[in-house]
Amino acid sequence: MPLEPVAQLAPALLDGGAGPAASLLGVSFREGYVGSVIAVSLYVSLTAVALSTLISVPAAVAIGLTEFPGKGFVKSVVNTGMGFPSVVVGLVVLFAVSNQGPLGSLELIFTREAMIMSQFVLATPPITAISLAAVSGVDDGVRDAARVLGGTRVDVALVVIKEARYGIATAVLAGFGRAISEVGSVLIVGGNITSADGISKTRTLTTAIQLEARQGRYETAMVLGAVLVALVLTVNAVVVRFGDRGVTG
Amino acid sequence: MLRATGVSRSYGDDTVFRDLTIDVDAGEVVAVIGPSGVGKTTLLRTLALSLEPDEGRVKLDGTDPWTADEAERLVLRRRVGMVFQEASLFAGTVARNVEYGLRVRRSWSERIASLFRLSGAADAVRESLDVVGLTDKTDQPVDSLSGGEAQRVSFARALAYDPDVLLLDEPTSDLDPRNTAVIEDAVGEASDRGIGVVVATHDMHQAERVADRVAVLLDDGITEVGPTAEIFEDPADERTRKFISGELVY
Ligand SMILES: Nc1ncnc2c1ncn2[C@@H]1O[C@H](COP(=O)(O)OP(=O)(O)OP(=O)(O)O)[C@@H](O)[C@H]1O
Ligand SMILES: [Mg+2]
Repeated sequence: MPLEPVAQLAPALLDGGAGPAASLLGVSFREGYVGSVIAVSLYVSLTAVALSTLISVPAAVAIGLTEFPGKGFVKSVVNTGMGFPSVVVGLVVLFAVSNQGPLGSLELIFTREAMIMSQFVLATPPITAISLAAVSGVDDGVRDAARVLGGTRVDVALVVIKEARYGIATAVLAGFGRAISEVGSVLIVGGNITSADGISKTRTLTTAIQLEARQGRYETAMVLGAVLVALVLTVNAVVVRFGDRGVTG
Repeated sequence: MLRATGVSRSYGDDTVFRDLTIDVDAGEVVAVIGPSGVGKTTLLRTLALSLEPDEGRVKLDGTDPWTADEAERLVLRRRVGMVFQEASLFAGTVARNVEYGLRVRRSWSERIASLFRLSGAADAVRESLDVVGLTDKTDQPVDSLSGGEAQRVSFARALAYDPDVLLLDEPTSDLDPRNTAVIEDAVGEASDRGIGVVVATHDMHQAERVADRVAVLLDDGITEVGPTAEIFEDPADERTRKFISGELVY
């Protein structure tokens, strides 16, 4: 019965969203609320992307620099993962951290850590795939030169990372873009919860916008939306700049 | 010093060369001449100990890297330098490129420490840039270099760590006469230092100018190896003669 926790906690979820705190509409309170929502969003997404980068970039370099049977298959799995529906990821992570799941004893359900897990899963395919494309695009001659000049495997990998740095930066920022603007999985595993005084516990920009809009608090929803758009646009602007430099050298 | 005996190499079903034997001694310059696509680059990579021959043996001072363990193979490989057909420089400055071979031979603690030190270029870096006449470009980023300069940096990069053998793959194919002369002088300088040089070229005149011995690579093997004058004036092999005289057009 993997879905049982959701059913049990659904009322609590609603309380969290529209409980006593939500009825207070003082300006200072709303400001603290918005700040806490941004903080949770950034904390969860940045942590997930940082962890994912530590795994994805070495994995991309390893895949890119070695020939092995099934390499094409691995690449297509990674590419498919980029389009993986986030709600399904949320569902799987929810099951994993639920009482019946393998990580149930850690009691991670409706925590930021669970959200980090699901965003990690979501960010890893794009970071790996884009890094892999960047690594594969590095001139063979440069790889050979590093080797022939006496480089070890690690030296060759470092040269390749340096040559592919703009592509890898693009990959990391794309992963961040996917994580911060994603709503399905964080809603499922995080539960969109605030504490009694209205400070976000697991509420992110996306889930907050969704809730505020549904409850007719358009002003707050717009502020949150503007913050999210500003964040994503900033990231995209940086991606475009890195991307350009990657192409023009 | 470096000797390949009876080596064969193919890519899939395509045999590039078979049963080929060639060697180079300290201070000697051997030119490998042959038409485009005949396998000069493949041969040089085999001699660089970076491509394993399908058959035959490559040995540096009697040791076969392909039967040695990985650590020993690295030690052997590090005694050989190669300059590629394309300059293949790393992003960064000229000095960082030329220093590369020295850097990877240092311990990790030294390498990390050197990241925080603002020391100038090492003597070896300046010396080998001097050989190719580029000391004034030391701190320039490589993407601002001309093609000829990049090729010369690539040469200096392989010279800087003082290899025992230097393999040059068409080192002057894109160069004007002045740059070509710089590289050819540098080949002479390397051999004076006791470095064994193998230079692959399709320019027969260059082979005549720089080489002590010439190996002629045609079809799937070396037709003839011998002292430069002998190969050009009195080749023993009929195909060599036709190739040298230009009758054999590829
Ligand atoms: N990595 C590879 N995979 C498959 N075939 C290859 C590979 N490298 C070289 N070849 C083939 O092997 C043959 C020899 O190539 P090689 O580059 O050694 O020739 P070359 O004599 O250096 O030619 P050029 O003078 O044009 O540089 C060519 O037919 C080439 O297509
Ligand atoms: Mg070639």
